[in-house]
Amino acid sequence: MNKRLEQALTCEGSDRVPFLPAIYEHKAWFVGETPSRVCRDVGLFTTAVFAEYERVQPDALTVGIDVYNVEAEAVGCRVTYYGGDDTSIPAIAPEDAVFQGSEDVASLRMPDPRRDGRMPLTLEVARNVMKVLGREVPIRGAVSGPFSMAAHLVGPEHLFMLTVTHPHLVKDLIAFSAEVIKRYGRAFIDLGCSVVIFDSQASPELLSPQMYRDIVLAPTQGVVRYFQQCGVPHVPLIIGGNTTKILDSYLETEANNILCDAKADAGQFLEKCSKARRAFRRNLDSADFLQTTPEELHRHTLKSLEESQGYAGFILGTGVVPYGTPLAQLTAIREATREYQRG
Amino acid sequence: MNELHELAHLVEQGQTQRVATLTQQLLDKGVGSPTILNEGLIAGMTVVGEKMRGGEMYLPEVLQAASAMHASLNILKPHLIKAGAKPVSKILMGTVKGDMHDIGKNLVGIMLQGAGFEIVDLGLNVSPQKFIEAINTHGPSIVGMSAMLTTTMLNMKTTIEAIAAAGLRTKVKVIVGGAPVSQKFSDEIGADGYARDAVLAVDKVKQLLGLAA
Repeated sequence: MNKRLEQALTCEGSDRVPFLPAIYEHKAWFVGETPSRVCRDVGLFTTAVFAEYERVQPDALTVGIDVYNVEAEAVGCRVTYYGGDDTSIPAIAPEDAVFQGSEDVASLRMPDPRRDGRMPLTLEVARNVMKVLGREVPIRGAVSGPFSMAAHLVGPEHLFMLTVTHPHLVKDLIAFSAEVIKRYGRAFIDLGCSVVIFDSQASPELLSPQMYRDIVLAPTQGVVRYFQQCGVPHVPLIIGGNTTKILDSYLETEANNILCDAKADAGQFLEKCSKARRAFRRNLDSADFLQTTPEELHRHTLKSLEESQGYAGFILGTGVVPYGTPLAQLTAIREATREYQRG
Repeated sequence: MNELHELAHLVEQGQTQRVATLTQQLLDKGVGSPTILNEGLIAGMTVVGEKMRGGEMYLPEVLQAASAMHASLNILKPHLIKAGAKPVSKILMGTVKGDMHDIGKNLVGIMLQGAGFEIVDLGLNVSPQKFIEAINTHGPSIVGMSAMLTTTMLNMKTTIEAIAAAGLRTKVKVIVGGAPVSQKFSDEIGADGYARDAVLAVDKVKQLLGLAA
């Protein structure tokens, strides 16, 4: 078993910095298919994960393509899928929200991960991947965070309005979402997988740090602690954007392997995560991946690795890898992590 | 407090009902609709923009202020038309094809409307063809494109190329924005401007149109 990530999570230090590119919709590219087709086909999805592992050689795998949609879809939101050769990412449009705001949150359906929406499909993919790679590399099931899931249930803009006009309703929606996420995540854990939580709608680019603390922190802590009790000691929590302003709250969630996105202050993350003995993943900005050369990416990676100052809990990652990114880009980043020697 | 200042303050505070009531009261008193717009709504939204830029206001509060602004605008609209007041300019906006995120675009639209511009919003997942049809229909001076994903931002380039192929490139200025977008990307795809946030978008639009900041 590749222990590199685990060693980073416990700040023990590993032979080299773990490499965790954010590959979701780009998985479909490895099998020459569209994200819409792959995310709805067990065979294609499984093959795509295997292909990703073989060609990119990351230090962990995530079972997820349109990572924010699965739970909300299982509750009843409609996902827009694209036909033909359209490589657009499946998404839930705001008008396809399932909750209007005037009804009781209790009226929402609690999905069963064994039966509802695409939950059974992604769990089957996780099962297939675990069978072949489970002893070789960490496998994580992708789950939404409670705020992001609530945003899909009612529509993102509507949710943000409700945080001011109907805060109690927002708390109820988030609590409902947390329950859905616990059940789905538990199903992954029962297969032997770990989980990774995605909650970028809670970024301080949108939500104030005070609101994060008031309405998102406690439910998120609850989800993290639940997964810990289920046997996952280190629960990653991915909040994209510049999260420097909520770093203290971010650490209070008790997640380990938090995200320092390309725009966030790496110095502050290094200082606070070192003190807390927590791992963080520093992202390279993936907006450049289709425009820049592998040589430039190699240089950017080495520069980013230098910023880590040899911290044992540092993980090198990327922003979401765009569909169609040439393999040479990811190889260049990976090779840089292999060359870099911690001081 | 001067009633127009009070209106600006209530807009900033997102007090929708009180804004609507005060707007009607001002009209009933004979205050001109352009004056209410400029010294009440635009003034209030200017403060909102400054506070957003300074990190004092975030999306929920801005949406509240926008709701208050719209409540007043709905009352003012027929009066503004009667007074012959024209918007500063017309701006076409949309999230590019394959992208279902609209909060950023909506925020820019709010701030531009708050600065006196007319917005034609094409919504989400807008194909290049739909942008072209809308340019022909509405004759905007500016086309604003938003993308939230690294995968979809490439459709900004496709859309600009399609606008050029349709012979419309010289008729509009194109401004782009969104989380993965940068000035470098904007330059590479041939856009006329890029703005990092909604407040800067207003400045950039004014700059592109040769208007005072």
